[in-house]
Amino acid sequence: MANNIAKLDIQNLNALFYEKHALKNVNVKIPDKMVTAVIGPSGCGKSTFVRCINRMHELVPGAKVSGKVLLDGVDVYGGMDVMDVRRKIGMVFQKPNPFPNMSVADNVVAGLKLVGTHSKKELAELAEERLKSVGLWDEVKDELKKSGASLSGGQQQRLCIARALAMNPEVILMDEPTSALDPASTAKLEELVKKLKNEISVVIITHNVSQAARISDCTAFFYLGELVEFDETRNIFEHPKNPLTERYITGRFG
Amino acid sequence: MAIISRRGKERLIKYLCFLVTTVAVIPLLWIIGEVVVNGVSAINLEFLTSLPAPFGESGGGIGNAILGTMIINAMACLFGIPVGILTGMHLSEYDLTSRLGAVVRTVVESLSGVPSIIFGIFAYSLIVLTVRHYTAIAAAFALGLMMIPLVAKATEESMRVVSNDIREAATALGIPKWIRTTKIVLSIAKGGVLTGCLLAFARISGETAPLLFTSLFSFFWPTGIDQPMASLQVLIYNYAMSGFENWILKAWGASLLLVIIVVSINVLVRSLTKPKYKGGA
Repeated sequence: MANNIAKLDIQNLNALFYEKHALKNVNVKIPDKMVTAVIGPSGCGKSTFVRCINRMHELVPGAKVSGKVLLDGVDVYGGMDVMDVRRKIGMVFQKPNPFPNMSVADNVVAGLKLVGTHSKKELAELAEERLKSVGLWDEVKDELKKSGASLSGGQQQRLCIARALAMNPEVILMDEPTSALDPASTAKLEELVKKLKNEISVVIITHNVSQAARISDCTAFFYLGELVEFDETRNIFEHPKNPLTERYITGRFG
Repeated sequence: MAIISRRGKERLIKYLCFLVTTVAVIPLLWIIGEVVVNGVSAINLEFLTSLPAPFGESGGGIGNAILGTMIINAMACLFGIPVGILTGMHLSEYDLTSRLGAVVRTVVESLSGVPSIIFGIFAYSLIVLTVRHYTAIAAAFALGLMMIPLVAKATEESMRVVSNDIREAATALGIPKWIRTTKIVLSIAKGGVLTGCLLAFARISGETAPLLFTSLFSFFWPTGIDQPMASLQVLIYNYAMSGFENWILKAWGASLLLVIIVVSINVLVRSLTKPKYKGGA
């Protein structure tokens, strides 16, 4: 980790919902082309942390953010257009949320089709390429015209990842992407996450501690809005420095 | 204890529902049946395409009223549908919590309960009294106003049931809010919006009171949208009370035409509200 360049450099990040201090002075460097797991008990600020990275947190009424989130040295709060931030930092949600009014193929390229000026051929090629990178192409190649909502839950979630990847993001954020999926779909998604880090940085929230151990290179443990510990996953699981971390990963609370 | 057994109660409620439904439907079918029986003999090519016969003569048609209704309704839609959809969009996507939103929502809800004659009088005093003659524009204005709350409500409701997950997905892709609203949320809600538009259209197609104050009537082909104009509704009103047999027959024919329009819109609505994709939303 030490010899890897930080893709995201987060400095003094604080987040509030009205009076509630959801995130307290978080400082962390997320490495490039690695999987970073974010773990912690419910309500510890994991989601808020991740949503501050692509500026989704500020959309909630009563939300305030201070501090810096540097993407390759440029602050996403101030240095960049908010739409560009979200194109460069993709997001996948807990519940698969394909657009039900669009076909499978259109879902993949929705972000480009609705905003950019790409030819039909370009879009079709991109859709195929991205469906291949998430391992969905062989399953859906005959159903490209069907609604994105007609696929199974696991397929929908991979479709959503393909949709995020179509924007060519540099970072992809995943908010408990497997919590609504069955074990087989979860396994497929975990394989995909491991593959993705060859190209981009992945930040994945998970409630499942063993999932973090399986797929991540680094792990961040949050508790009550604070970043308690951040280290290589191996160290977190074998030699946690903080007794709280140890108690959480061994299942004694949370 | 129980005088009637549980099974007995079950049956009693079942048959009561059936009986009451039948009683409620009979008058409706009766009306439609009466209109069909009396109106069907009036309808032929001449009826649909020619001008009314002079008073006292047989034959003639209601072509001018059909064309007039089409023109007035089209103008009303041109005004009422865009304003209604934008109002609904505003209420659903842009103004969920403010005081202005609450006021607009209350106004929209109250407007849909205002008697149609009030819209007629409003258009009369605003337009007819200003230009000093009856005009189809005023009729379209009154009917368009009546469409706004219906279309706005349908738009707001069908856009609001679109899950917030969808909005988040769009935002996270860097899609600007106006594109998200028009090309994703409105597109998902389009079935409900279209239904609202069609039902609003069906509603104004039967309104007579606003037209009496605005477009009035004409025995000739429409010459301009700023002129008095014939319409099916006012024709029925005039002819049915004329006491003159040929005209009463024409009124039945016109009624049948209106019933056909309204029923076909409702059938259309039913077929459109089926989901487009199998298993989709």
